[in-house]
Formats: sequence, C-alpha cells, structure tokens
Amino acid sequence: MNNNLGQTALFAIMRNKKVINNMKKTSIIPYLFILPAFIIHFCIVTLPSLSTLAMSLFEWNGIGNATFIGFGNFTEIFTEDNVVKIAIINNLKWLAIFITVPIIMGFIVAIIVSRIIKGQMFFRVVYFIPYVISAAVAGKIFTAYMNPYYGINVFLDKIGLTSLGDTLWLGNPKIALYSVAFVDNWHWWGFVMVLFLGALQQVDPVLYEAARVDGANRIRELLHVSIPGIKPTIAFVLIMTVMWSFLTFDYVYVMTNGGPANSTEILATWIYKNAFAKYRAGYANALCVLQSGICLVFYFVQRYISKKGGMEDED
Amino acid sequence: MKTRKKVKQITADGFKYAFLTIMLVFAAFPLIQVVINSFKTDADVKTMPIGLPEKWVFNNYRDAWEIGGYARAYFNSFLVGGCTIVIVLTVVGLGAYALSKLHFKMRGFFTAYFFVAISLPGFLYIVPDYFFMNKIGILDTRMSLVIVYTAMQIPFNMLLLRTFLGGIPRELEEAAKIDGCNELNSLLKITVPIAKPIFLTVALLVFVNVWNEYLWSNTFIITDELKTVATRFVKFTGEYSSNMARIYTASVISILPVVLLYFIFSNKFIEGMTSGSVKG
Repeated sequence: MNNNLGQTALFAIMRNKKVINNMKKTSIIPYLFILPAFIIHFCIVTLPSLSTLAMSLFEWNGIGNATFIGFGNFTEIFTEDNVVKIAIINNLKWLAIFITVPIIMGFIVAIIVSRIIKGQMFFRVVYFIPYVISAAVAGKIFTAYMNPYYGINVFLDKIGLTSLGDTLWLGNPKIALYSVAFVDNWHWWGFVMVLFLGALQQVDPVLYEAARVDGANRIRELLHVSIPGIKPTIAFVLIMTVMWSFLTFDYVYVMTNGGPANSTEILATWIYKNAFAKYRAGYANALCVLQSGICLVFYFVQRYISKKGGMEDED
Repeated sequence: MKTRKKVKQITADGFKYAFLTIMLVFAAFPLIQVVINSFKTDADVKTMPIGLPEKWVFNNYRDAWEIGGYARAYFNSFLVGGCTIVIVLTVVGLGAYALSKLHFKMRGFFTAYFFVAISLPGFLYIVPDYFFMNKIGILDTRMSLVIVYTAMQIPFNMLLLRTFLGGIPRELEEAAKIDGCNELNSLLKITVPIAKPIFLTVALLVFVNVWNEYLWSNTFIITDELKTVATRFVKFTGEYSSNMARIYTASVISILPVVLLYFIFSNKFIEGMTSGSVKG
C-alpha cells in the first residue's frame, strides 16, 4: 500500500516536471490559440465601445470632421431633449412590467411543471418555442393580429365584445407600450420558466422529504425549500431583467418604432433614430453612454438589494 | 379514506394540467393560428383572423416566396450563418482549448475579458462600427454582417465551450502529447471528437442567432438582394401590408427553418440558451 502511494507520488512529480517542461517549450502556443478570438472581438466590440465613450464629447455627423464640444451633448440631453425623458420613463415602465409579470408567470408554471409526473418535457419544449423565434417576425405577427380592421378586433366584435373590439392596440398612445410589452412577454416568459424549472430540478429531494417529515404543507415547502433552493437563479433573472430593460429594442422598433407621437419611444429607438435617421452620431453616442450608465447603476443597485436580501450566497 | 385521498389527488392533478394547458394555448396558439391563416384567402383572413379557413388555399406560399424574394433571402441567411459558424467554431475552439487546457500567464486576464464582454450591449458599439464599415467600404455587404456576428458570438460561446472542455480529463491529451502530438494535433484528434456534441450546440446557437438577428442586418444592409430573412420579411410586411394572408404566410416561411431545427434539437437549444445565457 505504502509503496504504491510512494510510486504514485513520484509519478505525479515526474509528470508535473514534464508538464512544466512542455509549458516552457510551448509558451507561445496558448497565445496563438487565444489571440484570433480576442483580436476579432477587441477590434469589433471593445475598441468601438471605447470610441463611443470618447465620441460622446463631439459634435459629429458620422462622416465629416468631428468638433469637440465637451459635455455639450449631455447638456442637450438633460435640458433640451424632451423625448429622452419620455424614453427613460418608458424604459422604467418596461422594467416594472418585466421584473414582475414574466417572473411570476415563469415561477408559478415552473413550480407546477416540476410537480407533475407526465409531460414535463412536452410542456417545457412548447413553452420555450416563442423564445426561439425571431423577435422581428414575432413582432410583425402580432402587429398583424393587432391590426385595427383585420386583426383580433374582428373576432372581438363578432363575439360581442364591441368596446374591446374598438381598441387601437398599437394606435392609442396610452396603451401602445403595454401592447408591445405583452408581445415581448409572450416571447420571454417561457425562457424564464425553463430557467426556474432547471433550478428547481436541481434542488435536493432529501430537503423536500425532510420538510414533509416535519409536517410542512405545500406552501411552507415552497417558502422554505423551493425558493431558497433557486435563489441564485432568481438573482440571475433579476439582474438580467434589470439590465436588459434599458437595452430592449427589437419589439418596439418593429411594432411601433416609438410611435404614435413618441409615446412608445425608448432609449434604444431614440438612439437609433439619432444615429441612422438624423445622422447625429456624436449625440447618439452620448445617449449610448447614458443608456449604459443607467444599466450599470441599476445593476449595482440590484446587486446591493439582492445581497441585503440574502439572494446571493457568495461573490 | 383511501378513496377520498385518491379523489383529492386526481382533482389536484386535474387543476394542474388544466392550468398548464391554458398556458400552452397562450404560448402556442398565436403561432398555430399563423400557420392556419397562411392557408386562407386574403378576404377570408380579413373577415375572420381567428379559426379555421372556409376554404383551404395553398397558393399563398408560392406567392409570398416569389414576391418576398425568399429564395435570395434564404440564401443570404444560410451563407452568412454558415460563414459565421465556421469562423466562430474555429476561433472559439482554439481559444477555449487554451483557456481550459493550457497554462499561460495571461489566462486569467483573457477569461475575465470574455466574462465582461458578454454583457457589453450592442448599442455601445453599433454607431462606430457602422461608420467604420462605411469608411472602409464594406457597408452593405454580407461580409460586414459575418464580421460583426462573429465578434458578437465569441464571448458567450467561448465560455460555454471552455466549461465543457474543462470537463474532459486532461490525461487524454497528455497521453497524445507523449505519443508525439503537438497542441494543435491533440486538439483536433482528441478534444474535438469528444467535444462534438458541444460544437453542434454552438453551431446551432450561432445559426439561430444569425437567422433571427434584426438590428444589425437592418442597419448594415441596404440592398434588397443582400438582405437576410428577418430584414427582408419586415420590409415585405411594410410593402405588402394590404394582403394579410401573405403576411401570415411570409411569417411562416421566415420562422420555419428555426422551428424545424428546434423540434429536432430542442434539448440542445434549451441547454445551450439557458446555460447562463444572455437575452438575444
């Protein structure tokens, strides 16, 4: 036995030496392996991102010469640009919707799916379908359904809900944003559900048995076993929702493009218009910096709250 | 007693399945109705967009395919997707192998770099990229899309692959090296065959992301003949908005490849997309 152990140790040392030798010999190889990916990403993503930060201080149309104007763009954002205010409020509404509705829906459905015996896989696969489909196409499909003359309204009229059938889902400035959010939620909640379901299935079954032995009912089981068991996933979903709520673009752009009358304008669509319709690249860059800044601030706020609420165990 | 408990269990199960079925309808009905509507005449769709057709017609597909220029759009999407997959698999395969298997000084730095890179929003670099592509004259080419898609797909797939490769026992590659293989050979002959399933997952994820992508292709591609499916479809809905049946049909054509792939590889899709993923 002892002898055997000694041999293993000796072998390990020899092997390590060999590895170290290999390392010295081939120390340039790892860099050759990693650099292609790094260089591509650095040139197309990181470097331009840094230039966005710099160019936010310039007046620039994207083609000609840029003039340095200091914080002029930011002053304009906060004093002259009324749309920015609408956009930020809409992004906040978006955040309020998506931090509640899909998470609650996803959670409830995940709990139920985790407790049925037959058909778990089937439900999981179907609920996930909307997430796989292109946002642009899904947005246009629902735009067709929400068409005031030929869409779902025809059906509502026929079954007698005429007042509901008169609703301009995308044309009424008061409800257009919620109509778009409804569609985005349709596409998004299944993804959240699958995340939760995956986490629930990882919870140790022994814990449930222990809870049952202690006489816990289903509600207590939920509060004391299921939710604590999937805390990291909840924290992950919250962080993702918070950041992404300020970055969302596709559905709004495809369905309303910020209209009617800027009522569904969000930061992303406003940036897009400034950069590619008005050719105010410098100003758009300043808006990008603002957008990323808000994301970052909310990210840290969320992390702080999560930590205080004990949502994250470590890091 | 026993029977009462059993009855209670059955009713509880009944409620569960009833609720899940309602959610099933919520998720799937809009799509099923789209498929049904693609077999209606335009007048039929307009008078009743919900429910079965009065008369099944099949000419919508040929019309939408031809008018929408879908042969061309499919070709563009497959070409851009294929090129992106090949480049991403190559550079990410090499990079992830280095990050998970090789020891070198800046390994920690590169790993951290890709972790941070995952959460960089596209809007932070789309404006400079656009004007840069414009300046060097490759704006409005499929190559410009391949370049940006490749760059965007690198961080997530790098980390996905790194985790998987890290789980392959190092002994196998060491044995290969003792037999005289260099790093590249041991990657190609030992690691790649074992890691085939994860390479397939990466390829699928990249393909779906490229196929579905709208913001960048809408910004970079101006010529109709070069547009990918998603952008061509959105343009189609704008130009032929009067014919609703064709819009529904074009929707089916636009999502069909992705949905088919999803039905074949649903587990790979779900695992890949939920492995610490970012919303696309």
